[in-house]
Amino acid sequence: MNNNSPFVNEVIKDSLLSIGDEMFAALARTSMSPIIYEVLDYACGLTDAQGNLVSQGNGVTSFIGMLSPMVKSVIADHKDDLYEGDIIIINDPYTGGGSHLSDVGLVMPIFSDGKIVAFSANKGHWTEVGGKDPGSFTNDATEIYQEGIQLPGVKLFEKGKLNKAVEKIISTNVRLPKLSIGDMWAQVAALRTGAKRFVELCNSYGSDTVTDVIDNLIKSSETYALKELALLPRGSFEAEDFIEGDPKKGGPYNIKVKVTITDDEFICDYRGSHPQVTNPVNCSYYGLVASVRVMFLAILRPKFNITEGLFKPLRIITDKQSIVSAERPAPVSMNFEARLGGAELIWKALAPSLPDRLSAGHLLSVCSVTLSGVHPDTNDDFLIVEPSVGGWGAGDNHDGQGGQFCMGDGETYNVPIEVAEIKYGVRVKEYSFRDDSSGAGEFIGGKGVVRSYEILSDKQHLSASYGRFSFKPWGMNGGNDGASSLIKVYRKDGEIVGPFGVSTRMELNKGDVAQLVTPSGGGYGDPKLRDKGKVKLDVKNEFFSEEEAEKLFDVRLNDD
Amino acid sequence: MRVATDIGGTFTDLIYIDNEGNMGFDKAHSTPPNFENGIIDVIDKSGISFESIDMFFHGSTVVINTLTERKGAKVGLITTKGIRDVLEIARGNRPDLYNFKYEKPKPFVERYLRKEVEERMDYKGEVLQPLNKQDVIDIVDYFKQEKVEAIAVCLLHAYKNPIHEQEVVRIVQAIWPGIPVSASSEITKEWREYERTNTAVLNSYVKPILNTYINNLSNRLSDHHYDGIKYIMQSNGGVTTFESAKDYPINLVESGPVAGIYGAAVLGEMIGESNIIAFDIGGTTAKCSLINNGEVRVTTDYYIERSEKGAGYPIKAPVVDIVEIGNGGGSIAWIDELGSLKVGPQSAGSNPGPVCYGQGGEQPTTTDANLLVGRLSEKNFDYQVNKQPVNNAIKEVVADKFTTTTEEAALGIIEMANSNMLNALKLISVRKGYNPSEFTMIAFGGGGPMHAAELARNLGMKKVIVPFSASVFSAWGMLMTDIRHDYIQTYLQKLNRIEFNEINNLWNKMEQEALEQYTEENIQNERVIFNKFVDLRYEGQEHTVKVPITNDAWDANFIKNLKNKFHELHEQSYTFILPDAEVEIVNLHLTGFGQVEKHKLRKLEETGATLEETTLEYRNVYFRDQGWVEIPIHSRNLLDPSHVVMGPAIIEESTSSTLILDNQKAEIDAFGNIIIEIEVEKVYEQ
Repeated sequence: MNNNSPFVNEVIKDSLLSIGDEMFAALARTSMSPIIYEVLDYACGLTDAQGNLVSQGNGVTSFIGMLSPMVKSVIADHKDDLYEGDIIIINDPYTGGGSHLSDVGLVMPIFSDGKIVAFSANKGHWTEVGGKDPGSFTNDATEIYQEGIQLPGVKLFEKGKLNKAVEKIISTNVRLPKLSIGDMWAQVAALRTGAKRFVELCNSYGSDTVTDVIDNLIKSSETYALKELALLPRGSFEAEDFIEGDPKKGGPYNIKVKVTITDDEFICDYRGSHPQVTNPVNCSYYGLVASVRVMFLAILRPKFNITEGLFKPLRIITDKQSIVSAERPAPVSMNFEARLGGAELIWKALAPSLPDRLSAGHLLSVCSVTLSGVHPDTNDDFLIVEPSVGGWGAGDNHDGQGGQFCMGDGETYNVPIEVAEIKYGVRVKEYSFRDDSSGAGEFIGGKGVVRSYEILSDKQHLSASYGRFSFKPWGMNGGNDGASSLIKVYRKDGEIVGPFGVSTRMELNKGDVAQLVTPSGGGYGDPKLRDKGKVKLDVKNEFFSEEEAEKLFDVRLNDD
Repeated sequence: MRVATDIGGTFTDLIYIDNEGNMGFDKAHSTPPNFENGIIDVIDKSGISFESIDMFFHGSTVVINTLTERKGAKVGLITTKGIRDVLEIARGNRPDLYNFKYEKPKPFVERYLRKEVEERMDYKGEVLQPLNKQDVIDIVDYFKQEKVEAIAVCLLHAYKNPIHEQEVVRIVQAIWPGIPVSASSEITKEWREYERTNTAVLNSYVKPILNTYINNLSNRLSDHHYDGIKYIMQSNGGVTTFESAKDYPINLVESGPVAGIYGAAVLGEMIGESNIIAFDIGGTTAKCSLINNGEVRVTTDYYIERSEKGAGYPIKAPVVDIVEIGNGGGSIAWIDELGSLKVGPQSAGSNPGPVCYGQGGEQPTTTDANLLVGRLSEKNFDYQVNKQPVNNAIKEVVADKFTTTTEEAALGIIEMANSNMLNALKLISVRKGYNPSEFTMIAFGGGGPMHAAELARNLGMKKVIVPFSASVFSAWGMLMTDIRHDYIQTYLQKLNRIEFNEINNLWNKMEQEALEQYTEENIQNERVIFNKFVDLRYEGQEHTVKVPITNDAWDANFIKNLKNKFHELHEQSYTFILPDAEVEIVNLHLTGFGQVEKHKLRKLEETGATLEETTLEYRNVYFRDQGWVEIPIHSRNLLDPSHVVMGPAIIEESTSSTLILDNQKAEIDAFGNIIIEIEVEKVYEQ
């Protein structure tokens, strides 16, 4: 096809999309870290020459809001100092695209005819970036300096040549350099693939045609966003909630939002939320932006490629140095707590007005687990860093889904028992839906999950952050609340520790069992309205007992 | 005589080759739900006698249809204590990232039919806790009460040590004779409990249906006095006997489609092409697969119903590595929310079908667009074709939206369809590190020959082959297959920690088990050929690279060569190597081919027609930048090997049309295949 075709735009658009996908697939296939290849905790994408998002391959939701601000901050920083073959490395949480130090970003300018026409960028969760604790999640960090190495947007490659000093600084500062450097190379390979494909596209159609298509693409998605916005109710909607945190450090922390929807703006005002804390549950303003963008997409539900244009109506207001807009040196390694907490507030505020688009409250928390120790058979060090699945809320004509990752995750995979038992010094005693009577409603909440690790060697250390421990996922329109999370440790000698939601480097020894229980989702609508046949099947499936069927749903099993 | 029948949604295809090498084919309408009737119909229609058949090959969509239509058996699952919900928790992923009302795939077994037994293996395959037999007995009683129709068994680490699964199966069979039961380790010896459980469950789910189907078909063939050898096509590109198909029906999940890919490899071997891109366009989908050095790639990374919107269901059965997209002749053109033109994946199917069928279809399809621009002839349809409604539909849906002419809009539809197919073709070639210019395209299916030349040119390929019998090529592929079995065993070990004795013994054991299976199928051992592969990765990676190896015994030198080969393939696929990283094995993969004797192809009889005499008509065809151009339309049946057809031209036969573009040249080879040479416009780098 040549440029005279009125449909050439369509073909270029398709190609842009597939470039994002190709970069994404390439990275997963070469990464060495389970957090990347199983959890898919990374994203790859293209932006235009100004850093506006054009196409993206995503594994988890939040990255959708990080790549383009990251590229923009690199552009602002390096301005006229970018050359063909340069690759910039950045993990600064307090600047554009920042989240926590574990998420390491790479940005590469793409040249055609001697000028920058686009950027390829990616960001991945490295298993290890140093800091005071293995895995670089530090429940008790008080400053960012304890959380790992900071990479403030420096050139990893200059005109195609590796800056060995930077590589050496990184490999010296992390505990598992093979993993981290391996992932770095996987990211570099993906960037180069994206750049090469983009240049091919420019060679086929001319870079002017390609950049025109990109401009149109961004404009038309902005038009779409405004059209969808018009379908939402006008007015202001408020919600409040809490981010869990150490009571000794003033936790839990209050957060609040006022969402105002106008003809051309969707304003999220977080003023009045708790000031930043010396707990790593803070997020920076840019972290918040990333998650609010996710929430905005869940409300707009676009069925096409996502570009910068969709986010044009979004406006986010915060106080300075609040728990959702933290500044250096506030610790942020658990930033997903504030990020997701802040984003879910919008959900909670709008759900009653948008039952066709939003459901009751879900697990909300990443429910992250870090377990380190020595494998009893190989004597190799092992390190588990994993999110956990839990229950989602029910909605209009929709039972909540059980055993799913939270809104911040996405195309994220749990670690199979058979894989875990080979690699780690644990045995999985149980992986099943929890037995609670929560989330009753006309449509019932999805179940949280119990995962029990029997510890097979001494001196293992468990750090976990299970949100929704003190507060339950909320029910909606008369549905019951879900169930909160909890962790219990059954010591070999019979002692039971817990329940608790957060632990920091808790020592576990051979024969101990750590039982990790994730939240169940909220119910929707009056339980008495639930279809009798469904209640009977719920009982047969042992999600509710006969007594609960009678008490909660007013259904007696024997009267047919 | 050997006969192959291939059942599709619309047509049942038949192809035969007699003892002199003469070939013929025919098509009849499929007859759901009793598909075996369509088979008898097409044999009758073709005029061959049942008595003359020596070998009967069959491809069927009955397994995939049973799954997608949810018409299988009521299955009960027996699994290890503590993990009955694994089948429903699945992997927890949400491909539709921003859909906060996502519905995960509903498991094929309800929770109340997922029962646990006390038993436990560790990852080394050592028994931690013996099987509690009473648990099994109690569960079978319960399943009887619940009127379960088939049972699946999946226990932790059974891929490493299957004795507990085997014991459960024995107990079930002893106390409930006749109930279909499958253990995960019989079907797959790969790790990952969810994937294995799902595979075992789906195998049991389709087992009773497939058994009935095969029994009915056998009986119908017996009624017609055919009691000879009967083979059925598996997803791995080989055939198996009717009897073993009954035990492992899940191995038939892609029974039909893969035969064409395998056929392309065989045809390539016959005519001296070992690097092939096989490309098949049907009514609703296009499929492609890359054959490197004559080797058809087989993978167990297979899912049904997987999409951007849903996680789908994994099946750990060996399946030819095919990329399939929702773009076929019946794919519908539409405009999305942003005003972009899209084609597919929605299809008009056979009912109502494209607008031109005149059966009530109102949305324009790729076939309609091809008709409108003159690439397809209205005379070459089964239906009475009326162009006016086609014109109207394309004008209303596309042309008016883009304020362009109807011809331009039709061309736009074709270009969008081509763009989708081009992406699929790039996915299997350029993106995997293969240079398309080093490959030949073999194009088949009803629509393959129509689109091939244009796509090959865009990919920088030099040659396209449109095989004789292109429209029933999958059935032809079946005639050419061997009895193939794939044995894949997860064996996690670093290359530098391998004990040569252990691994050589393991290979021997796998070969012995394979030979036993062939013996059961009446294939003599000397006719069995083995190919070996290992799935390797850098330590810590998840995904593996499949590396072909020789049949030599393993020693230090072997490992050294293997490592080098792996680095090389890793670099080809992923652009880099990690020379210092450790390399580890994940799976051993043994492929057995029980060789079936094949007939030689017969050369085409020449018609002696002149090129002018092969010209059916001169027709106006619309091209980009040139507008309407009058080009010659040749009859494929009249073309001889001496003829050279210069593009632009079209070669027509009753079941397909081959488009040849400017600067392209087509010839017929001695076997009746059309060979198109393409001027290379660009070459992709890796």
